[in-house]
Amino acid sequence: MAEPLLEIDHLRVDFPDVIAVNDLSLTIETGDVLGLIGPNGAGKTTTMRAVAGLQDLTHGSVKIAGHDLAHEPEELKKRLGFMPDFCPTYDQLTATEFLDHFARAYAVPNRAKRIDECLQLTWLTEKSNALCGELSRGMKQRLVLAKTLLPDPQVLLLDEPASGVDPLGRIELRKLLLQLHDLGKAVVISSHILSEMSGFCNKAAIMERGKLVTFGTIADLGSRMQSRRMAVKWRVENAKASEILRNAGLKNLQVDALSATFDFDAAPDTLDDLLKTLIVEGVRVTEWRARGDDLEQIFLQSGARELM
Amino acid sequence: MNLTDNPIFLTQKRLVHRGGVLAAIIIATLLGLSLFSGLVAYLANPTAFRFDSPEDAGRMFYGWIVIIEGVILVLGGFSRVSRALSDDRKAGLWDSNRITPLKPSQLVTGYWFGSGLREFYMAIAFAVIGLAVVLLAKLPITLWLGSQVLLLSTACLFGLIGLLVGMAFERSGILLVVAAFILCMFSLVAPGRMLPNFLLPIFGLNYLFQNPNHPGYQHQWDTPPSLFGLSLPPVILTLGIQFLVGFFLWRAAVRKTARPSQPLLLRWEAIALFAILVIIQHGLLWSIWQGHFPHIMLSGDRNYESRQSLLSAIHAATICLAIIILTCASPQPEVIRLESLRRGFKGVGPIFSRSAVPLAVALAVIAGTATFTQCIFSLDRIWNIVAIVCINLVELFVAYALLLEFCRVRHQKRAVGFLALWLFILWALPFIFALVFFDSDFAKLSMLAPGFHALDNPDTASSWDLLFLAELAHGAIIIVLFSAWFRQWKRLLAKTSTT
Repeated sequence: MAEPLLEIDHLRVDFPDVIAVNDLSLTIETGDVLGLIGPNGAGKTTTMRAVAGLQDLTHGSVKIAGHDLAHEPEELKKRLGFMPDFCPTYDQLTATEFLDHFARAYAVPNRAKRIDECLQLTWLTEKSNALCGELSRGMKQRLVLAKTLLPDPQVLLLDEPASGVDPLGRIELRKLLLQLHDLGKAVVISSHILSEMSGFCNKAAIMERGKLVTFGTIADLGSRMQSRRMAVKWRVENAKASEILRNAGLKNLQVDALSATFDFDAAPDTLDDLLKTLIVEGVRVTEWRARGDDLEQIFLQSGARELM
Repeated sequence: MNLTDNPIFLTQKRLVHRGGVLAAIIIATLLGLSLFSGLVAYLANPTAFRFDSPEDAGRMFYGWIVIIEGVILVLGGFSRVSRALSDDRKAGLWDSNRITPLKPSQLVTGYWFGSGLREFYMAIAFAVIGLAVVLLAKLPITLWLGSQVLLLSTACLFGLIGLLVGMAFERSGILLVVAAFILCMFSLVAPGRMLPNFLLPIFGLNYLFQNPNHPGYQHQWDTPPSLFGLSLPPVILTLGIQFLVGFFLWRAAVRKTARPSQPLLLRWEAIALFAILVIIQHGLLWSIWQGHFPHIMLSGDRNYESRQSLLSAIHAATICLAIIILTCASPQPEVIRLESLRRGFKGVGPIFSRSAVPLAVALAVIAGTATFTQCIFSLDRIWNIVAIVCINLVELFVAYALLLEFCRVRHQKRAVGFLALWLFILWALPFIFALVFFDSDFAKLSMLAPGFHALDNPDTASSWDLLFLAELAHGAIIIVLFSAWFRQWKRLLAKTSTT
């Protein structure tokens, strides 16, 4: 088992009229990319701020690579990169100067080289001499991400990193996160847009009203799911297809001329048999897959009710 | 870490330079040179001016340089520091810097010395030209050195205040400082005896600018102050007081940077700061009564009436200071609520011990003891004055602490408005009734009245009984306030357990 990089133990954060985070426990290991999922107000940002030391804890503890936030905040800060959900930049500084400020603050060795690397990693080399105030929101987002990567932190907390980023930027962000995963970083990424997170998270934690509803690897959570929404498509209109599907006793079946969707909660073998029957009966199946992304299904079946 | 390695300082410097400093330095230089040229013109043709000597002319021109330099360095620097910090807070950069491994003291130092660099450059231009004026007019070099040190030290003190304002408010708070300056003008009635004249470099600068060839020209400014009879150089006294206050402000700024939820002043800091300021203030007054209040011990003093009311004025200033310190040191209800969640206490004892009420009692004891020094040798005659003033101080401070916390717990964001309302009712409204109904007895119902009345009329024993009765009534009000305060706390902590 890999060494736990981030350990959150019974974390509780109180605001005057609400418990923002209630008894949250998580463990994240080297190379993990955790999707922190939940509707607005679920406590995702508060959790991240608490881990970063920006929010007082009522109870619980936070450890990064064994260093406790309460007792060794300086050590913890050296190992943590936090990217907030907005883009705090010095508008009158250039991108390089902005990164130089934080490189000095983190006492990064070979500052100039590291700044170039981070600019390159976030596709901002061409904008290195542009004033931060003149960058677009997406570029600022990437610049703040570059700032977060500067000290080469072991744990990265990214709060809604794709909000306000154009589709191309999102694709680039996804590539970058996969790179970080390959580099063995532990990444916690929060979002309420599940499609952003699918494809690179290997763990998911679903929060609602400050509480952890479910937590585990995507594979574990998937296996725990009671039912999956399946989608099937065929090439030529075929009356037998709808007949077979209707006779299979599927839940929430919706059939069109060339496609169908349904919930399936029996053993996987039964699903294989159903596909075999369709093919044997001459239905030219072109698509046979779980509909939507896994995270969305996990969320929908987690018990969390709201998703905004 | 050196200042030149401090990333916050370097970035603030970069931002200041990017905004342009040359124009500001040229403006300062032109202003300074225009004053310098006035002195040169006088020396070239003395008959065209109405100065007695080159020294007089030099004092006048250098005086203007010091005033302009002071406004730019102290007020401009304060404004710049507080605005830089509040802007960074709004932009989220303050938090971004807080999560770096930089120590809170490094963050504070960076903003403190970095944000006001433009004003500092302007001040250097003024200082250099000022030195030329002093040398040309053959004035003592100590005048230049003393005044520059005082300006620099005051700028540092106001820079620290600017940091705290920037941490707490979203605006620069310059109006607050200007209002404080105007209030300090009241202390000019007794220059060598009022603390604000030493907290600001008012007395120190005036003392340095006195002309030794005209002794007694402005008697109030050329006599060095004394602390409990011990004569002290005014520049040293000013620097010492500024250092002491700055020490506590520095600690507050570092603590707020590390954890914004902590109070500005810890309890021991609040007690120490209050004690230092109040004791220095009474030390400055000592030579008037020398412990024989209300009998004036200064021979040939013609301002008997004004001296008599001086202790009342200090009493008022002490109450204001206590209010400021109690507000800064009183913990936010949310902090106590979270601690109750962590430790599981709900009773009156733990809440009381964490509230500002015990601090209020401690401050009242200090203020009462300091007042007591003024009548230490006449206690047998005026023990009742001391008793009334001390009881009144305890009542005022405890009532304020209870009201402050009651309003914070009950009214939360509207606490300031409701606190002002309650203070108006308990402290000011009886005076208004007294004016409206032409009956001064109404005024005695105010919680403020007993102390002021006793100090203003120490020789009239006619209304002692009424004053003691008023004190008793105020005691009853405090019991009601305490009951309401405790009920609010219980409600808040009960809500905690059911949230």
